Amino acid sequence: MNEKRIVIGLAGNPNVGKSAIFNALTGSRQHVGNWPGKTIERAEGVFYHEDWEIHLVDLPGTYSLAAQSLEEVVARDYILSGEPDIVVNVVDATSLERNLNLTLQIQELTDKVVVALNLMDEVKRQGWEIDVKALEAALGLPVVPTIATEGEGLSELTTALIGVAEGGMKTHTASVDYGLTVEGYTKSLEADLASLGIDKRRHWVALRLLEDDPEVVEAFKAGNLPDCCLQENSPPISLEALQTVLRRAARLRESTHPDVRIEIVRRRYEFADSVVHRTVNRLRPVEESLTEHVDRIVTHRVWSWPIMLVMLSVVLWVTIQGANVPSDMLATAFGWLAKGMRNLLAHMNAPWWVVGSLVDGLIVGTGTVIAVMLPPMIIFFTAFNLLEDIGFIPRIAFNLDRLMRAVGSQGKHTMVAMMCFGCNVTGVLTSRIIENPKDRIVAIVTSPLILCNGRFGAGLALIILFFGKHALSVTLGFLAISMGAMLLATWTLNRLFFRREPSGFVMELPPYRTPKWGQVIWRTMIHQVGHTMGRAVMIAAPATFLIWLLGNIPPGAPFEQTAVGHLVGTLAPLGRPFGLSGEMLTSLLFTLPAKEIVVSSLAMT
Amino acid sequence: MLNFLHWFLLVISFLLAALWLWSLLRQRRKISSAQSSTHGLGYRSVETEDALKAASALQKTKGTWNSEELAHSLGLPVALGQAVTGALVVSGWAKKDTQGGMQLTEEGRERSQELIRAHRLWERYLADREQMALDEVHAEAHRREHETTVEELERLDFELGHPAWDPHGHVIPGPQGQVPSSLGRSLLDEGKQGSRLRIISLDDEPAALLAQLTVMGLKPGVDVEVLEKDPDLLRLRLDERLVSIAAAAARHISVFPAPALPVPLGELSVHSRVRVVEIRGGGKHQRRMLDMGFVPGAEVMVVRKAPLGDPIEYRIKGTAVSMRQKDADTVLVEELRNE
Repeated sequence: MNEKRIVIGLAGNPNVGKSAIFNALTGSRQHVGNWPGKTIERAEGVFYHEDWEIHLVDLPGTYSLAAQSLEEVVARDYILSGEPDIVVNVVDATSLERNLNLTLQIQELTDKVVVALNLMDEVKRQGWEIDVKALEAALGLPVVPTIATEGEGLSELTTALIGVAEGGMKTHTASVDYGLTVEGYTKSLEADLASLGIDKRRHWVALRLLEDDPEVVEAFKAGNLPDCCLQENSPPISLEALQTVLRRAARLRESTHPDVRIEIVRRRYEFADSVVHRTVNRLRPVEESLTEHVDRIVTHRVWSWPIMLVMLSVVLWVTIQGANVPSDMLATAFGWLAKGMRNLLAHMNAPWWVVGSLVDGLIVGTGTVIAVMLPPMIIFFTAFNLLEDIGFIPRIAFNLDRLMRAVGSQGKHTMVAMMCFGCNVTGVLTSRIIENPKDRIVAIVTSPLILCNGRFGAGLALIILFFGKHALSVTLGFLAISMGAMLLATWTLNRLFFRREPSGFVMELPPYRTPKWGQVIWRTMIHQVGHTMGRAVMIAAPATFLIWLLGNIPPGAPFEQTAVGHLVGTLAPLGRPFGLSGEMLTSLLFTLPAKEIVVSSLAMT
Repeated sequence: MLNFLHWFLLVISFLLAALWLWSLLRQRRKISSAQSSTHGLGYRSVETEDALKAASALQKTKGTWNSEELAHSLGLPVALGQAVTGALVVSGWAKKDTQGGMQLTEEGRERSQELIRAHRLWERYLADREQMALDEVHAEAHRREHETTVEELERLDFELGHPAWDPHGHVIPGPQGQVPSSLGRSLLDEGKQGSRLRIISLDDEPAALLAQLTVMGLKPGVDVEVLEKDPDLLRLRLDERLVSIAAAAARHISVFPAPALPVPLGELSVHSRVRVVEIRGGGKHQRRMLDMGFVPGAEVMVVRKAPLGDPIEYRIKGTAVSMRQKDADTVLVEELRNE
């Protein structure tokens, strides 16, 4: 075992290349998006440098550590937990002011911080200069310029990490001056905390009490202070004493003008602004960027519509057209496999039910699912990830927000709904782009109401069968009904259950960036396609196996006497009022695991 | 599969075309409703707006009203009262209350306030800038009040220096309909160091003093900031100038606290540059806005509006942030003039 083991927490604003640094360091390529609020799950990795074993933990991207959202709570609690030896704060060098707001908050929690000054290539392109030495001096932290997507500056970053870990590199806590009033109040609260025996991070706790921070106040109310603030084996503190401090903090807060909550953030920004003023030299005036030019067209009052239409069509066209050939090939391949398997089993004199369940059930059923789902998924996710990396998706949300607001939802929901046309599963998966939990739930719940590619295929066959000449109008009707149902359901859900929930829509529009093909494809295959297909096969395989079995026991019996036959008979009266036969209901029941099975189960019954 | 694609694209194109048409029509309707003066008691026509003002006056004095009373106050035959009331209801400005009388809706109250504000601001403008006689301004202002959009009104208000009174001496309500409560106190009593005050009138008794104050730029409608207050001398800031007046002179100046100049961020037009003054709202939303950089003193530029008018994109501290107008309105800002 390596003796020199350190744990690094990777923190930063959304969209600053945090994941790119994580990938470049650990080698396991993970997700790099162009969408704010991406990394909600915790990703871990390890890498080795000389005789050091360095563990990396990717924290969710946040603008702040204010504990106002789940991501912020996760990031803050992790830093507070003391688990990471060092926090690497990845900052966007092109918008330092906003990024330093987070840096200073992290620095209030721990002095073991290394700043990775990322996106230096964009800084150079804009013709700016950043005085890294001055920035280091102003913050009291090591600052390493990096270009994560090209791997530049990463070895320097590692060196800095080890320097801090060995204690050779000095780091300091934040030195923000919050002004006479706030500092005075904090001092007096700190004295109270000290008398209670709270001896770590007193300044930070006092500030949060003044700010009315929900988590800290809750901890004081409940009397279970987190370990972060107490020395080990310290005596418990009485609930009453804690509440006295709380009341005092509330009184101090109410007596301030301007609002102390605003004042604290304002002072922090003021400090960040002064640091940026001293260290960043914007040689050239800010000229109109490419993003600005593109945005003028993409969000144009008239042109935005055809552009979005073309983009959506291309994605769907490429998905459907491009998937046809590989789908057919896969289906043929599975056909051969089934045939070969049948011959092999016959050769081995296997009993009929083994042949039937394995070949007709498992291989044919699962094969159908894979052949139908896999190719479109690969193509679709690649296309979607590309759009996301370029930064197109926030623009669509921006354009269409007004539409979804009418039913109480928000712009990103339109994106999810569009993806549902491809496949509901992809729609549900893309719903992670919605930050607001309420809107995300509504988007997921209503997504099955949209006709997906799979159901459309099945439905189309039936429509042509039943309606012949009128197929077109019936199909259009179905599409309209499905969209209407989705909108209505969204509206109803929002009216019924989320009436009081505010649905804010504050979103960053990141600049357009060139996508990194390797990362896009890697992440598509491993993180999305692999994951989803794995699940689909896990459910579809036993399901098709079971369906085949139910349809064929007892052996040799006529259809009416098999298990499925009985089920059909039982369900027939249930379906009659709706004009559905027992066969239809049964196949509906079987499609619960995956809609794609409907064709095969209809064929079997 | 190919069939699916064809139909799907067809449907989506129809939908998008419909949307586009709808947004165009909506804009057209906005323009036409602003320009045309539809005759008769139509949906939100000029006549209906006049009826709204009369109804608002009735409601202010009696709390509730009915169609006969409305017809009477408009000078119309009682038989027409029903039609007038109907037009108000159709326009969404009035509704029946539980006792069977009529009440203005929230929207109706807002619109009537807006009309009154427009009327009095126009009177002020006509009297001050076009030197129109006091007995003529009413009719002209009455014509213009219906054609003024909110933006134009705010510009007018700004140009006139946020006047407090119309030429007839009526109070001009603020943009949210707020009416200054007091009628003004003397600058000597009210003036404290650092307070911002608006001059509402000058005593015209010592005529020499009046002339001198006017020459110094101290006239009704002007905002001053008290920099220093000695027992017998007040130092004031007036725009960028510093003026000193004797305490004895200050007694003859009536002031009230200057209404908040800041305007909601969401109401600004594209390309305006502003500075954040205050963030309202509290809670998570306020904190989120602060963390995105919307702190007092921060500079913001309005970049563009989405194709359907909302949300709006802002540039702050080198980043682009989009938010709905409703959310943007919680940020109060002051406009920066181009240097």
